[in-house]
Amino acid sequence: MANSMRGLTQFIADIRGARVRELEEKRINKEMANIRKRFKDGNLDGYQKKKYVAKIVFTYILGYKVDIGHMEAVNLISSNKYSEKQIGYLAVTLLMHENSDFLRLVVNSIRKDLDDNNEINNCLALHAIANVGGSEMAEALVEDVHRLLISPTSQTFVKKKAALTLLRLYRKHPDVFPAEEWALRIVAIMDDPDLGVVICVTSLIMAVAQDHLEPYAVCYQKAVDRLHRLVIEHEYSATYAYYKVPSPWLQVKLLRLLQYYPPSDDPTIRSVLHNVLQTVMNNCAEPSRNVQHNNAQHAILFEAISLAIHLDTSSPLVSTAAVLLARFISSKETNVRYLGLDTMAHLAARADSLEPIKKHQGTIILSLRDRDISVRRRALDLLYSMCDIDNSELIVGELLRYLKVADYGLREEMVLKIAILTEKYANSYKWYVDTILELISAAGDHVGDEVWYRVVQIVTNTEDLQLYAAKVVFEYLKGPSTHESLVKVGGYILGEYGHLVANEPGYSPLDQFQLLHAKSQFCGAPTRALLLSTYIKWVNVFPEIKPQLLNVFERYRHVLDSELQQRACEFYALASRPDDDELLQNVCEEMPPFPPRQSALLGRLNKKQGDTEDKRTWVIGGKEANVDHEATKRPTLKMEKLANGSTGGSTGAGANEHINSLVGLDLTLTSSPTQMKAPLLAPHLSLAPPVAVGPNVERWFDKLTYHGEGVLYEDVQIQIGVKSRYHGHIGQLAIYVGNKVSAPLTSFTTTVQVGDPEALSVTFAKMPPTTISSRTQTQLLLHVECKKFFATSPTMTVSFLAGSHQALTIRLPIIITKFFEGVKLGQSEFFERWKLIGGPPRESQAIFPITLNAAGHVDLQKQEQVVSGQGFAILQGVDPNPHNIVAAGVLHTAVDGKVGCLMRLEPNKEAKLSRITVRSTSEDVAGEVQKLVQKPLKAAES
Amino acid sequence: MIHAVLIFNTSGVPRLTKFYSPLQQSSQVLVKKIFSLISTRPASLCNFLDAPELEECLGRKDKPDEKLRVVYRSYATLHFVFVVDSAESELGILDLIQVFVESLDRAFENVCELDLVFHFDEVHHILGEIIQGGLVLETNVDEIDSQVQVAAQARKTSFASANPLSLGVGSGGVGQRGGGLQTPLGWLTGKLAGVGAR
Repeated sequence: MANSMRGLTQFIADIRGARVRELEEKRINKEMANIRKRFKDGNLDGYQKKKYVAKIVFTYILGYKVDIGHMEAVNLISSNKYSEKQIGYLAVTLLMHENSDFLRLVVNSIRKDLDDNNEINNCLALHAIANVGGSEMAEALVEDVHRLLISPTSQTFVKKKAALTLLRLYRKHPDVFPAEEWALRIVAIMDDPDLGVVICVTSLIMAVAQDHLEPYAVCYQKAVDRLHRLVIEHEYSATYAYYKVPSPWLQVKLLRLLQYYPPSDDPTIRSVLHNVLQTVMNNCAEPSRNVQHNNAQHAILFEAISLAIHLDTSSPLVSTAAVLLARFISSKETNVRYLGLDTMAHLAARADSLEPIKKHQGTIILSLRDRDISVRRRALDLLYSMCDIDNSELIVGELLRYLKVADYGLREEMVLKIAILTEKYANSYKWYVDTILELISAAGDHVGDEVWYRVVQIVTNTEDLQLYAAKVVFEYLKGPSTHESLVKVGGYILGEYGHLVANEPGYSPLDQFQLLHAKSQFCGAPTRALLLSTYIKWVNVFPEIKPQLLNVFERYRHVLDSELQQRACEFYALASRPDDDELLQNVCEEMPPFPPRQSALLGRLNKKQGDTEDKRTWVIGGKEANVDHEATKRPTLKMEKLANGSTGGSTGAGANEHINSLVGLDLTLTSSPTQMKAPLLAPHLSLAPPVAVGPNVERWFDKLTYHGEGVLYEDVQIQIGVKSRYHGHIGQLAIYVGNKVSAPLTSFTTTVQVGDPEALSVTFAKMPPTTISSRTQTQLLLHVECKKFFATSPTMTVSFLAGSHQALTIRLPIIITKFFEGVKLGQSEFFERWKLIGGPPRESQAIFPITLNAAGHVDLQKQEQVVSGQGFAILQGVDPNPHNIVAAGVLHTAVDGKVGCLMRLEPNKEAKLSRITVRSTSEDVAGEVQKLVQKPLKAAES
Repeated sequence: MIHAVLIFNTSGVPRLTKFYSPLQQSSQVLVKKIFSLISTRPASLCNFLDAPELEECLGRKDKPDEKLRVVYRSYATLHFVFVVDSAESELGILDLIQVFVESLDRAFENVCELDLVFHFDEVHHILGEIIQGGLVLETNVDEIDSQVQVAAQARKTSFASANPLSLGVGSGGVGQRGGGLQTPLGWLTGKLAGVGAR
């Protein structure tokens, strides 16, 4: 400890006593020289090393560069005294960075501390890795850290640190982290009773799940369940209440995590989540007097609103949220205003309709004049996001007005945003040109070259605009002070289209020349060069001012700038040729429209996101900035129509392309659309553990195919039983899971995988519990609906923690015959239909061996049991042979309707064989039913 | 994630600097920049600040799009400043600062600026119990405090075993001050937990 080292305390006191910085530096240099000498002499004991390293660390904290003590810090780490070890680790984490060579030396000491039985040493080691661990450490230590996280003997504080350390290693070196293999085990920790552990593990999962959405999909259910318990059940340890709010950090994290996943399809999860969000919003209805309480509540609320927006922008929750946000943006508290605007920008970025936001346009515009620059920035983002074709003139006008008084730091961004909005939402070209010229004259220095290039391109590509543009730019140039960018635009446009206005009074060639030339003396060489090009064009179209122009070229032939000089010489030569020479005319031909260009935005958007940082769940900008980048390729601009209407089609397309590439200039837009847009993940059976097998498992399953209830699975730890009820295409399954051991099964997780969700839906009636206490049973209720024919049974994956993490997958006895209903038919009716259906392919037939009962007869009773258990009605007196079974049934499906099915079973005692024939109007059904009925009857192969 | 945690006093002297991502420039430059950003903001403004200026110091070169925000809170003579990216909730960080201050207060019994100076190692350990590698580790003040106590106890034991004759002098516990003039912050933190705190 600092004050157990008198030398250190003295050192600190001396530095504090130093009245001026020079004295402080002098004292530090003296001390460092002393330490360097001591280190060089060597032979220091642990205490001395600790003291000197502590001094070095203190010097470092003051902001001085230190280059000694690394080796001593490394030595201290391997000390067996905690006080020395601690200082050693502190020095390592502060003085070294992840690429430091010294870290190689500590890997082994760190590993030793990770394996130590003393948890405090584990913690020091974990903390060090989390701060300075690089890819080398990741390779060497990731297994040890993972072991600490999952070991049942780890203390909670070790688990927490291990989770975050693992996260660090994952970020530094994702390849060493078997994300999929560890997925279920790590997600299981989200059920830990200690909220601190849950926070840390959620952080870890959040980072890993972004890159591996599917393997971690179970965390969605876990997160919703945890939110439900925190927000609605109020189930948490009292110490985790922060000013009466249950762990706001965890809630925020969980709400954020849910935004990385596409909205769930499961109705149960949806309704639970809806309740949670509703409760969160209601909780904020009454503001409290306590600042911390308010802060925490709002932190959750803002995240909840973001989630609600993510789930469904048209839900009533979002309407409630919009009302709340409207209140926030006019709040007296600056923090709330700030976040209100920020979240509203999120809403604007996603919502289908901007109407609820537009209602508050006035307030938002006022926020541009807020006292706080942070709030002003958010208001700017929001205005940018909420701008559309209807309010663009107003918003752009407002932004232009504000631009003139805006902070310098903000201007550049504003200019780009204005330029983009103007192009995107221009109603008319006139407005576009007016606005951009106004923009250039108002904030010339902050206008990038791209902006004026674009004006030129658009004017060139739009014939109707050229005359107007020439006039307007002329008027702007008349102003007392004009920005260089404006002179460039003016030079280009007047050069190309000056002749269109030259006949009107006040716009004569001479006027144009004098106006432009007067500006040239204030401009740099590139602008002057551009003006020279303008003049040569004028030589072609305005012969009346040729002498003046030649005069200018003549003078520029002697300037020192080589570019200008070369141009002047060439232009002079060109202009001096005889009047009937065609060369000049050919050279100064009017510019053709610009060819379409690949948008810069697309290039940026397509850039792969390869790293492991947290991604934003939305980007600033209108809705279309957020729909996937496929959409940005589509022309989204209203201008296209205008262009097509007024000029040739090719011009229109060209303009449109240019507009797209302006949108791509540079700005926040460049952050790519979220990865969530990846197609919704169909459950992958390959990720679940393999389906449990074994003679018993088969037998239990077979029995359940014709029985409504029975055992599905049993081992030494758990027993799973099933009761089921079906009616038509709807069914209900109650699954009983019993814990047979003397300890509770924690982190109990069940998920159901359906082969083809189009054909069959299986959902939990409510969220399954997460714990099964010792020697008790819990019930899970499943709703089943058959929509179409299906052949594969759904599987259920059950995982739990009982010491170690265990998972097993079981086939559920949901088969097509469960949706059968028996039909009573007479003999003639039966045969009539039988013949109507006909032979293959709508018939399926097989011969299979059977076993005889003890008396040596065919087990008729069992045969009838199986057939009627599978939903058929056995028809008496249809077949002349009493041993044969004839049955009929109808399959009910929600989408494909009813399918009839007839069956005949002919057992033969002598041959110990049986023949089954199934006919159905659907080939699939005939084949499947034949297999299903045959299976429980077939003799085991000997 | 959290990129940096800084504490400096009203004259801009750093009392704690901890960076969770590599620095592109010297830390003194960064502290000065942040100080100049914050010290000019009156109390009525919000606690958040976009800081494009900091991106060249702290931002990652491979991720130029990342937006850094400064979340700060002032207590008596000290500014607590967190530099975070967009993955963190602003209000959440504000709460975290409060937790940090409450934890310091718990450990030093009425924390004051001097404690941070003389017990810089301890302050780092407490911070290490709250944030690890730029991520929130623990937010429960009781839990943080008990971890700090455990570590202090371990240090004490190892010190005592090394110096059997020390009779507990300088036993390295938490909360012992070198004496002398103090400017207590503690009475303030109590109030700060209540109404009107920023």
